[in-house]
Amino acid sequence: MTFDCTDLERALAVPELLPDAREHAKVCDACRRELWLWSEMSAAAPGLREEWETPDLWPRIRQTLAAHQKAAKPSGVAGRIGWRGDWRMLAGIAAVLAIAVSVFIMKYSRSAPVAPRDSDFLTEQTLKEVEQTEAAYRASIDKLTRLAQPKLNALENPTAIAAREKLLVLDAEIDSVRSTVSRNRFNAQLQAGLAVLYRDKQDTLKEILQSAQ
Amino acid sequence: MPLAMAAGRLTARTDADLIQASKRGDLSAFEEIYAAHAGRMKSVAFHLLADRADAEDAVQEAFLKIYRAAGAIQFDSGLAPWIYRILLNCCYDTGRKRKRQAESPLPADPPAIPDNVPLQVAIRHALARIHPQYRTVFWLFEVEGFRHSEVAAILEIPEGTSKKWLFEAKRELKRLLMEGRA
Repeated sequence: MTFDCTDLERALAVPELLPDAREHAKVCDACRRELWLWSEMSAAAPGLREEWETPDLWPRIRQTLAAHQKAAKPSGVAGRIGWRGDWRMLAGIAAVLAIAVSVFIMKYSRSAPVAPRDSDFLTEQTLKEVEQTEAAYRASIDKLTRLAQPKLNALENPTAIAAREKLLVLDAEIDSVRSTVSRNRFNAQLQAGLAVLYRDKQDTLKEILQSAQ
Repeated sequence: MPLAMAAGRLTARTDADLIQASKRGDLSAFEEIYAAHAGRMKSVAFHLLADRADAEDAVQEAFLKIYRAAGAIQFDSGLAPWIYRILLNCCYDTGRKRKRQAESPLPADPPAIPDNVPLQVAIRHALARIHPQYRTVFWLFEVEGFRHSEVAAILEIPEGTSKKWLFEAKRELKRLLMEGRA
């Protein structure tokens, strides 16, 4: 084949053409330089890797996970609460959960609020309504998922990848909390935590649908 | 053995064993996963965030998510792609948070490539100027030593797309380096 400078780009894409390119480069300074750069980029790249010591990183992770395990014994939601083992964060999340349970029950059950004297536990009647509401809420989120999933699967941008991963984690957490709730149905905090997770999933799905429009 | 295989293979117990043990609360098993991947994860996170403290936070967050989502892992393409996918998402989240914080914005315009600098320095500058998708593929393949199949699994793209993006990355880098050294 007669190889000239205009063939170089194609040769870089098709390895079979490289011998011809190298032959041409023997008599062409510009192509020789480009070929040299092409291979040197790959040779130099591993040197760009960043390495540094972080002796405290694993202990930090281990400490958080240990706290997570301890907190997760009564419920999966507690794992979220145990995030950094920080009392301010715990207090903040507790406040959010308290608000969430109020909103969940008031907005969806249309029943009398849980008696203040027994605010941590649901009555049988309220529980029934909460469970019905949760089932309806779950069904509507499933419907939203069916709408959003094809759009999400079709996208390849970082936001879509992040959304897919987030949904994966949320689904795992929802399964975990639902499993705990099934063993402790009267715990209002668990129900509230579940509502928060559903809301998070709903918001994520809505964002996907909006970004796909 | 390719770097990716060396880092991806965990000698004493398989990835599946380690994940199963982690799910049961065995933190020593999870520490093995950490030991096998944390170094490269920090490097990947640093590349995306350009800040060591942020990179460490992203790696920490990723490991917490990995631990929590261990039950949902699909082993179709191995543990490593799944771990790095979670890491990239943590980095993107951190990047988005940083963008929202006016006091610490991400660098807007990458600097021009300085003349007469070592090739590695020039590549680092040029990388900041190419398309982020091409840059990520270049980084994962050429810098971190992942195979195209692994890059494809991490980014959830076809393997052919990974190869194409790598070619485009190198073509862009070559162009920028040639301009900088003209």
